[in-house]
Amino acid sequence: MPTPIRLRHIVGMFARYANLTFGGGSATVAVLHREIVDKRNWIDEHCFALCYALCRLTPGTNLLAFCTGVGWSLRRWPGGLAALLAASIPCSILVILVTVFVEHWSNNATAAVAIQGATAAAVGITIMTCWTIAKPHVQRASWTYVVIIVAAAFSLEVVFSVPPIRVLLGAAVLGALLPVGKR
Amino acid sequence: MNAFVLYLVLLKATVTSFAGLASLPVVRDELVVKRHVLTDTQLNEAVVITRATPGPVGLYVVSVGYFARGVPGAVAGWLAMVTPALLIIPLVHFAGRKAEHPRVKAVLEAVVLASAGLLLAASLPLARAAFTDPVMLAIATATIVLMAKTKIDTLWIILGAALVAWAASALMFVTTL
Repeated sequence: MPTPIRLRHIVGMFARYANLTFGGGSATVAVLHREIVDKRNWIDEHCFALCYALCRLTPGTNLLAFCTGVGWSLRRWPGGLAALLAASIPCSILVILVTVFVEHWSNNATAAVAIQGATAAAVGITIMTCWTIAKPHVQRASWTYVVIIVAAAFSLEVVFSVPPIRVLLGAAVLGALLPVGKR
Repeated sequence: MNAFVLYLVLLKATVTSFAGLASLPVVRDELVVKRHVLTDTQLNEAVVITRATPGPVGLYVVSVGYFARGVPGAVAGWLAMVTPALLIIPLVHFAGRKAEHPRVKAVLEAVVLASAGLLLAASLPLARAAFTDPVMLAIATATIVLMAKTKIDTLWIILGAALVAWAASALMFVTTL
């Protein structure tokens, strides 16, 4: 039986590679694949792919679910928790420090205008994220289906002020009732 | 606002979304519209902060928590972010390949597409808060074009946006703040 991976190695792996990668979840997963599967052979391709597929079905931040799933595969609950904590605490502390900085400097006129510019960029990023979220489904479903669901959710929120949670539940019911297959 | 209540509110947002920023509409609805403990500007800043720092995009709820309730709020945000991740353990343990069931995927697909529509809806008030000047609108448009057409890291786009806004202000192009 192979020697179990030490918890401190799991912590070191996820603290280093899940916290220090720019470019979002996909870039981080690619880095983790290189380190965990290619270089160290901690888990095989099948287990890695399974964790990646299931993280897309897990609510919340997919990347953290992925790290937790890989950690659990390595050392069950201690491994899952170690990976989750290591992947989330250092970057959270950095975010808190930057938030404190932004809150403090937003009263400074020069910093405020720079923050305002960055905030405008954030609106662009948010709009682009809509496409990033919908894009994988455009390939599987028809454009009509994608446009109808997206437009219906948008309209229910903007025109009819339906709470987002009800819109999401309604979408889940719709997905469960419609025939399975290419829509 | 009580930190535990804040945790429950943010958890409601994270546990009903399937991507980092997809929880934003529920966060905005609860904290900006209903409870008034957060502003649209702060919500925008939370997105900026998360995109300008390494780690997952979902980290923005930590920043939101700090804006709403200081350090205890940030801890509440962190807990709300990590709690749903634990749900993958029973999925890996019990579901395995059954998670690929067409009906499960159909439900998920509809929810994800709806969350994209909701995120688009949530970006409207964020835009109203951010576009205080034509220069800001130009910055947002340029951001969309750069993200669609290039692979430039968002960190550089955000830093560039801050620099452009500062330069425009110095040259008196930005009039309203």
